[in-house]
Amino acid sequence: MKRVLTLLAVLAFAGCSNSAATGTPTAAPASAGANSTPAAVTPAPTTAKEKVTIEVMASQDWIKSSEQVLAGRFEEQTGIHIDFQIIPSGQYFDVLKTKLNSGQGIDLFLGQAGKSDMKLQYDAANNAVDLSKESWVSRIDPVVADQSTLDGKLYGAEVWDVVAANYWVMTYNKDIFTKYNLSVPKTFDEFEKVCETLKTNGVTPVYEPISDGWHQVLWFPSVGAQIEALEPGVTAKLNANTATFAGDATMEKALTQLNDLYKKGYFGKNALSDKEADTSKAMSTGTYAMTLSELSRGSQIAAAYPNLKATSFGYFPIPLLDNQLQPTHPAGPSWMISSKSSHIAEAKKWLDFMMQPENLQWLIDNTPDFQTLPFTGVTAKWDASQADFFKTYTQAKTLVLQDGVAYVNPQWMDMGKWMVNMFTGQKTAADMLKSIDAGRTTLAKAAKDAAWSK
Amino acid sequence: MNKKAYPTRFAGGALLLFGIFVLLPSVLGLGLAFTDWNAYSNDINWVGLDNFATVLDPNGDYVSAIQHTILFTIATTILKTGIALGLAILLTDGVKRLAYLFRALIYLPAVLPILVVGIVFKSILDPQSGLLNSTLQLIGLGGLAQQWLTDVGLTFWTVVGVDTWRGVGYIMVILIAGLLAIPREYYEAASIDGAGRLQTFRYITVPLLMPVLAVTTVLNVLYGLRVFDMVFVLTNGQYGTSTVYTMVFDSFTRGLYGVATALSTLFFGVMVLLGFVVIRVMQRGEGN
Repeated sequence: MKRVLTLLAVLAFAGCSNSAATGTPTAAPASAGANSTPAAVTPAPTTAKEKVTIEVMASQDWIKSSEQVLAGRFEEQTGIHIDFQIIPSGQYFDVLKTKLNSGQGIDLFLGQAGKSDMKLQYDAANNAVDLSKESWVSRIDPVVADQSTLDGKLYGAEVWDVVAANYWVMTYNKDIFTKYNLSVPKTFDEFEKVCETLKTNGVTPVYEPISDGWHQVLWFPSVGAQIEALEPGVTAKLNANTATFAGDATMEKALTQLNDLYKKGYFGKNALSDKEADTSKAMSTGTYAMTLSELSRGSQIAAAYPNLKATSFGYFPIPLLDNQLQPTHPAGPSWMISSKSSHIAEAKKWLDFMMQPENLQWLIDNTPDFQTLPFTGVTAKWDASQADFFKTYTQAKTLVLQDGVAYVNPQWMDMGKWMVNMFTGQKTAADMLKSIDAGRTTLAKAAKDAAWSK
Repeated sequence: MNKKAYPTRFAGGALLLFGIFVLLPSVLGLGLAFTDWNAYSNDINWVGLDNFATVLDPNGDYVSAIQHTILFTIATTILKTGIALGLAILLTDGVKRLAYLFRALIYLPAVLPILVVGIVFKSILDPQSGLLNSTLQLIGLGGLAQQWLTDVGLTFWTVVGVDTWRGVGYIMVILIAGLLAIPREYYEAASIDGAGRLQTFRYITVPLLMPVLAVTTVLNVLYGLRVFDMVFVLTNGQYGTSTVYTMVFDSFTRGLYGVATALSTLFFGVMVLLGFVVIRVMQRGEGN
């Protein structure tokens, strides 16, 4: 009897503790704020602050320090603490999938937008909350919103600069180019000549960090619009399963050109062990002349090394296949609320807070990687080099391969490994294209894609 | 209480737990190797031997991983046994002063977690900032500096070297115990009969150490065949170092659970068979 009473007492105590920890949200968002500080959320005057922690899981580099500051401001106003769990990029999807499948406590998670990812990687229809009716939805760029939409329902919010942080282009050091009397290349041959001149003069032409496993992949799918320009209709054919990667001469040429750059030593001796996190440092020293990076690399370098100016760096498109197009890449990390979360209301409140126009503007103004955000009511902060890039190059009408062709993006890390195998002579460009097809077939069949069941 | 049932009742709880958490998942795993179980679909369909065909496809990545695993096992077994035997003899018969200190120092890496060893060596072997290349450059041997963990022709042997460094102390301790168990009278008798050091080693040490060598060989072979963590930390299975279990992990992370289970099942069978063969061969050696 004594044991039963003790057990009841323990259970009652646990019940009380639980109810205290999950109090009803009280604070409401407000639109106040200035560029110097995040907008405030007006606390409710009569009730105590909530003591709720919402767990956010994200891959390395997806959460900016400015967002963490904003989260701190949100906590001050609402009492809702946001705990960011940042996972190394190479392990992120494994950890996230395990958490999602096991229903372990995450409230919000970030995932790369794009329809095949939303469906296959995150199973958004089951794992994420439908956000279609949230107040901020009408302010998102519809092209961007579409990347997080499945069957007409919006499952994610991309608080991500899909231009400056998504346009993967060549960043070059203007001073080095001037010193060696080099012009911005317009063709692949010109690019190789620039690389050779730099190499001859003891400057490593390109900082290409391969050790992270994902960066080297960017070279290939990012020129998707050029592939489409050279082979009109190929994107649609790939999605309809009437064309394959294997045997496509243009794609094989792009990969062969990339391999050529590696083999000629234009990525330096240590490319296989170089890290993406060291890109700004490498570019700041003057030992590297170029890197494949976001359109915001100049700002990032200037933020990390105040003696350097963002406009000391210029931009041009990835030169494979003589590409001269601005990439169109609307899929970036997208915030999703876990359908298994016990704090859905609080998580929605955070998204609502973050997407107040003042807070979005504050993020733009305080994040070196962001120059704009895909929402109405914000002002971009393009510098002269970026403006020059927009003026010089035409915007591609076709999306990059990872957004425009189904079942490519979920294979990103595999493609990274196959590319390393190509660089090190263990695979050929043709082998890699075959592997992509094999992966697409597996994914498409699993997704019961009608185009693959014919 | 029935005396016969007594041990069964004691073991019952443990057996039940073993059955639920080890035996049952293993048997279920065996069945799943014949299905298309994957991360992207809720349906699980019977596919017969398709997964095994994928794993054994000579043009696929799995076969080269199997080859790497076998080579790794042979190389580390030979290196660890050879070096450990040399050190064991040296520290029991040759070096007298500070022998215990040397034993402890050589054994030390074995008690370090593999993850820690891997991370430390990754740092030491970094081509730009690593201790090894920096030291080589400092002493004027910069020409010997290498891309230790990314050069396809070299990386496999770097991993073998690091793993041997870590494992040799453990094998050495076992061999020292074996050497100390050999009666000294045999050596004295051989010495009186005029046997040289080599003859003593060939006709006394090796035969009498054979049971211990059988144990260390089985340990080395089984460790080598299921090596994962050292390779994963150092190279993530890249640059010609993929092994069976890095491929199992890789397949799981790609959501290809059926294929991963097939590879795992296949190699479990191989390990059981090899372990059995090694023990039989060694027992025959002992008999002779």
